[in-house]
Amino acid sequence: MIVKFFLLKLLAIFMVFSMNSLNASAMASAEAPSTHKEETYQSQSFTEMVGGFLRSTGVNAFLNPDPDELDSSGHKMSDFHKSWGRLLMIFITFFLFWLAIKKGFEPLLLLPIAFGGLLANIPVAGIAGEHGFLGVIYHMGLSNEMFPILIFMGVGAMTDFGPLLSNPKTALLGGAAQFGIFGTLVGAVALTQMGFVDFTLQQASAISIIGGADGPTSIFIASKLAPELLGAIAVASYSYMAMVPIIQPPIMKALTTDAERKIKMTTLRHVSRLEKLVFPIMVLSLAILVLPEATPLIGAFMFGNFLKESGVVERLNDTLQNSLINTVTIFLGLGVGSKLAADQFLVPETMFIMALGIVAFSVGTASGVLMAKVMNMFPGNKINPLIGSAGVSAVPMAARVSNKVGMEYDRTNMLLMHAMGPNVAGVIGSAVAAGVLISLFVK
Amino acid sequence: METNLIIEGFKFMGLGMGTVFLFLIVMIASMTIMSSVINKLFPEPHQNPDDTVAKKQDNKKVIAAITAAISHHRQG
Repeated sequence: MIVKFFLLKLLAIFMVFSMNSLNASAMASAEAPSTHKEETYQSQSFTEMVGGFLRSTGVNAFLNPDPDELDSSGHKMSDFHKSWGRLLMIFITFFLFWLAIKKGFEPLLLLPIAFGGLLANIPVAGIAGEHGFLGVIYHMGLSNEMFPILIFMGVGAMTDFGPLLSNPKTALLGGAAQFGIFGTLVGAVALTQMGFVDFTLQQASAISIIGGADGPTSIFIASKLAPELLGAIAVASYSYMAMVPIIQPPIMKALTTDAERKIKMTTLRHVSRLEKLVFPIMVLSLAILVLPEATPLIGAFMFGNFLKESGVVERLNDTLQNSLINTVTIFLGLGVGSKLAADQFLVPETMFIMALGIVAFSVGTASGVLMAKVMNMFPGNKINPLIGSAGVSAVPMAARVSNKVGMEYDRTNMLLMHAMGPNVAGVIGSAVAAGVLISLFVK
Repeated sequence: METNLIIEGFKFMGLGMGTVFLFLIVMIASMTIMSSVINKLFPEPHQNPDDTVAKKQDNKKVIAAITAAISHHRQG
């Protein structure tokens, strides 16, 4: 009996309590939605709704740009850059898609860059702005030079220094090709002196590094010395790298005689594993002694190569060569693409950068070929001047071009491995040149 | 006083190309020395001659198979 009474009492208490709380929550929910309604939504007529929606469409944003819109660095944008400029840039990215897919121009990079450019030119959404995802990617790895370094690790893991070790003197060809860099530097400051453009020495240096034909190095230097020109420099550098098979052969043919193009080079000797293992450490030590400014690039490059040649970390080597470099390439491409925004790309400087870039590239190719001809004046094994053009970095495309041109004149003349020597020396050469340029400005 | 940018550019060129070539020449020299030292002190063991013989025989078999396939293809 007592137990039953107690249970009833308990039940009653529970009921009262739960009634109370129910009431309270009902009251709360009755209040909350009403305030919510007042804050964000006001009843409006259907015409007003349609009008408001139309004002938020892309069509309207292109035709009547928002006068207060700011670019990613907080400056006011001109009307042209907000309307027709954006449309023009979107069509340029379509053209880049066509180059990448139909023409096969370096699609691995060109596609992410072009798509990034397409996204960056969307009005209203602000994808390339500070809080848009392209802007986040840009600040994550491009403005602090992280992605180029990671790419260099992967390239290091993919590089075989065997051909260079078996014929060391071909490294000089990789050095001569750096004339492209410094020749263009003179050209860029000459243009400034004559009053066509207004490039500072820093900007001129960043532009001239396009002549090294090395995408990551160009980005590394540009983000250090002239971040405002990064987009144009990266696009110029990568598009000329993709056009190596078109730009180089005419220059190579013009500078060589038929007999020179048929020179057969002696077979490469076998290089022992120990030599390949010591080489990266040796080059890095030299860089430490001569030019510490170049060690971020050379250090990352040699790290990748050392892992590969050590032969004991196959998993890490595999990651560097495949997953890591592929992931970073996607981010790098999108990040560079974010700089294709109309307000940053459609400026007169871009035209000069594209023009100076191709001059840099051609001078680099020509001086590599000429250097090989100079070296043939000295006694010793003759060098086929066609491999001189591979001294511009662009691994391994430039070496393949040397091979292809060589085969046009003699089907049996395989130059590919010989050309890999100057090719990898070119990478080291441009990293050294980059180090010199940085050391001149960073005091 | 306004600096002559072109002269400045040529100065950069001299220093830059000088450093690049200096670096590469030192690299070539140390590469040559390193290779000769390594090949003298730690010569790589020569390949086992039996292996190459076996490989040559394998090659012959492959060549025979390819020739057979080609002639078969031409007849067919």
